[in-house]
Amino acid sequence: MRGFDYVSKRVLFAVLTVFVAITLNFVLFRTLSGDAVSALRCRQCTQAFKEYQRQQLGLDQSKWEQYKLYLRDLAHGDMGKSLRSEQPVTHELWPPIKNTMAMVALGTAFSIVFGILVGVVCAWRRGTWADKGGLWSGLAFYSMPPQWLGLLMVLFVAGWLGLPTAGIKDPTLGILGDASWWDVFVDRMRHMILPALTLGLVLYGEYALVVRSAMLETLGEDYVLTARAKGLSNWRTVRTHGLRNALLPIVTLVALSLGFIIGGSITIEYVFSYPGIGLEVVEAIDQRDYPILQGAFLLLTLSVIGANLLADLLYFKLDPRVSG
Amino acid sequence: MSASIQGGAAAATEGVDVSASRRPRSIRQIALREPTAIAGLAIIAFFVLVALLEPILVTGDPKAKVGPIFEPPSATYPLGLDGGGANMVDLLMAGARVSLLVGFCAALVSAFIGGTVGLLAGFYGGKVDVTLMRMTDYVIVIPDIPLMIVAAALFGRSLTNIIIIIGIIYWTTTARLIRAQVLSVRERVYVKRARALGAGNGRLIFKHILPQVAPLLVANTVLLVAYAIFAETFITFLGLGDPSVISWGRLIENAFNDDAILNDAWWAIIPPGLCVTLVVLGATLFGQSLEDALNPRLRVGHLSVRRFKVRPLRGKLDAE
Amino acid sequence: MTTPLLEVEDLNVWFELPSGGELHAVRGISFELEAGERFGLVGESGCGKTTAMLSIMGLLPPNATVAGEVRLDGENILARGEETVSPHRWNDIAMVFQGAMNAFNPVKTVGSQIEEPMELHGIAEGRIARRQAEELLERVGIPKDRADRFPHEFSGGMRQRAAIAMALACEPRILLADEPTTALDVMVQAQILELLVSLAADFNLALLLVTHDLPIVAQVCDRAAVMYAGEVAESASIDALFHTPKHPYTRLLFAATPDLRAGGERVASIPGAPPRLDKPIVGCPFQPRCDRAFAPCPTETPLLKTVGERHVAACHLNDHVREPATA
Repeated sequence: MRGFDYVSKRVLFAVLTVFVAITLNFVLFRTLSGDAVSALRCRQCTQAFKEYQRQQLGLDQSKWEQYKLYLRDLAHGDMGKSLRSEQPVTHELWPPIKNTMAMVALGTAFSIVFGILVGVVCAWRRGTWADKGGLWSGLAFYSMPPQWLGLLMVLFVAGWLGLPTAGIKDPTLGILGDASWWDVFVDRMRHMILPALTLGLVLYGEYALVVRSAMLETLGEDYVLTARAKGLSNWRTVRTHGLRNALLPIVTLVALSLGFIIGGSITIEYVFSYPGIGLEVVEAIDQRDYPILQGAFLLLTLSVIGANLLADLLYFKLDPRVSG
Repeated sequence: MSASIQGGAAAATEGVDVSASRRPRSIRQIALREPTAIAGLAIIAFFVLVALLEPILVTGDPKAKVGPIFEPPSATYPLGLDGGGANMVDLLMAGARVSLLVGFCAALVSAFIGGTVGLLAGFYGGKVDVTLMRMTDYVIVIPDIPLMIVAAALFGRSLTNIIIIIGIIYWTTTARLIRAQVLSVRERVYVKRARALGAGNGRLIFKHILPQVAPLLVANTVLLVAYAIFAETFITFLGLGDPSVISWGRLIENAFNDDAILNDAWWAIIPPGLCVTLVVLGATLFGQSLEDALNPRLRVGHLSVRRFKVRPLRGKLDAE
Repeated sequence: MTTPLLEVEDLNVWFELPSGGELHAVRGISFELEAGERFGLVGESGCGKTTAMLSIMGLLPPNATVAGEVRLDGENILARGEETVSPHRWNDIAMVFQGAMNAFNPVKTVGSQIEEPMELHGIAEGRIARRQAEELLERVGIPKDRADRFPHEFSGGMRQRAAIAMALACEPRILLADEPTTALDVMVQAQILELLVSLAADFNLALLLVTHDLPIVAQVCDRAAVMYAGEVAESASIDALFHTPKHPYTRLLFAATPDLRAGGERVASIPGAPPRLDKPIVGCPFQPRCDRAFAPCPTETPLLKTVGERHVAACHLNDHVREPATA
């Protein structure tokens, strides 16, 4: 099988990085941040109670023991309990993750599609006003803090388009009668659009720039001249020879921007009160709910590592020049 | 914010299709010739000037309440008052000072770490290189902004800490860039000659390699400033910033928390974000055009909507 | 006399420079190509030969302006630029690019890229196209199972053969070859040239070979035009160019290559450099480097004159000849 070496190397790297991430997580939260129990907002807690809590959380043992305990728990999918709600972290985080995934998928899809369109048009009409306009708008959106853009959306766009600006459901839906599957779907989408759009706008600029650049580079390639010599029309040349080659960098780029996507979605969810994992993170910070914070961070890191691995494999599949 | 715009933002700096000369130019030359570099520099210079002049321009405490909350813009207060009744213009100027300070300092920290790592890896090669780069690879995969947020949540709250946190996150691309540059410089003839003449490592690094690497490092640092300012807005927005300090990020947070939207107070919302956008834009333009001018790439296109022209043949071509 | 297959008459090409001026790269050249003939276009790099060749297929960038006529079977295909020239691409005139160039798209198989023009011009489709592509590959000496491989899996020489196969996909009548053997090693060069010659014979192709490498021209072509600074200095049969050149540039070029069978760069190192093409040229362009320059040369442009059987040259040394060139 072609490239077995390559694939196994990437998988190994991903696994190692997962370990690094887990360890980092542990170090950050247990070791460096001091005692989570003493940080609890617990005015009436007696010393004895704190001791008991410490024991429960395994904080009375050596760091190494705690690490092993942590790994063992993780292997069982146990990420501790929320300090706030006493519910297992995994239960607490699962619904928000779904919400975030949906919103981020929508936003990223938007940014990729729009980025490709703008990038191709810019490369195509290089040097003209369309090109400059596309570039400048892309750069402008790229420079905007996502939370600020979100606020602008709420301020100007929401009212104009009649879209809701908070949460993910309309609380009145389903009260006056059964809501159909379609109604629920539309409702969710209406709540998701603005946050996703905001995310998409801050992202597309970068993609457009890279697509444009890759496209220009491709257009300067000898095989494009050959295609033209063979009699292919401009459009056909772009479609069969240019696009595929120009789109390869996007795969890597999306993988590289995941950190930003996540960070951006955290602030965006905060602005729109969208109940995703970002909002959980913010609330956990506010209430010092360290287990949630730790769990959320670990999950986010793991998904980024996973997505990077996927991107690597996808790139490998698309570009035959990448050797095994 | 992702570090991969280097492929792309070349775009805005492409005024001419075919770059006339490929000789590496000094930073000063580039800064004064390329229109986008000039634009970017102008924007940054404006804000730096404001930040420096702030103690003179603003009298008293910018946070002081001078009128009713969310008062709309008027002649006396061109940008109105915020949710605490303070003058927006004063707040913005004070914010400029802090945001730019954080930006520059954090960028310097990143540049220093990244530059050192890149330099060492590139210069010594071998095991040093492999270890350092392996380490860099792992750091790169950890998502930057969540890590920053978490670190800020755990250690944040003071300005210095925030600067350090931001600085520690963003050094990786610099490291790779500098390493590549050092690798190519290291193989140049005059370096080999100096080494053959018995120059020690320290001398080689400081006298021969560093001067060649410095311009690119400077260009990259400018880009880092953009990232750092951006990062600061993230941190402050989530309430993790230094509470005693006003920055643009803080102003956006205030606007949000004080329900500026309910009050339709666009003057409290738009200006701080606009300032951030402009500075980031300026820094990106300037830094990117510098980087591209130092690493020029020639581009020729084989396809275009426009066609070659046909001139009708005059009987005999004259005076040629 | 029958109409030649390809006639280039008074071809001029200007390029707009970013700084605002104009580069007059091709300055009124003319030559003819009969069916099945093998013609060389020779000169130093920068003399305009590649530009001239690209103009025949209209493969010029948007900052180019063209004047003159390129007649295929008597019809001027440059009459309205892209519109009139593009229908002839690949099915009448095809091209093989320099050996160093990347004529193949790296992410598609070689076979698919040979089939592409067949399908485009409606010559064959699907399995038939596939079979024809395989046959072409075999004809150029590549095993047909390689059709499913990617370009980076081919060696330089094989890639060039595949490029030749691709050029023949639509059975053109004219094959343009631009430095087809540069960047290939000597052994491979010879094979490629032999291949071109045998293909030209088998398919009754007219071959226009552009190169700076004289031994190649001597090996492959019957006739050639020597270009200098965008103009034709001399045009004749290979024999005549070698034995009875009527232009000092030709003489110096050919004289400096004693062993025509050794490969590699054989451009004579004539001291000096060609003139700049973004400024008007006064007098004979070769005059500054010429060893026989005399009174009229710096100020009067020499005209192309017939100096023998299908032999023209532009040099004041031939001024005693009466009529200006007609061919």
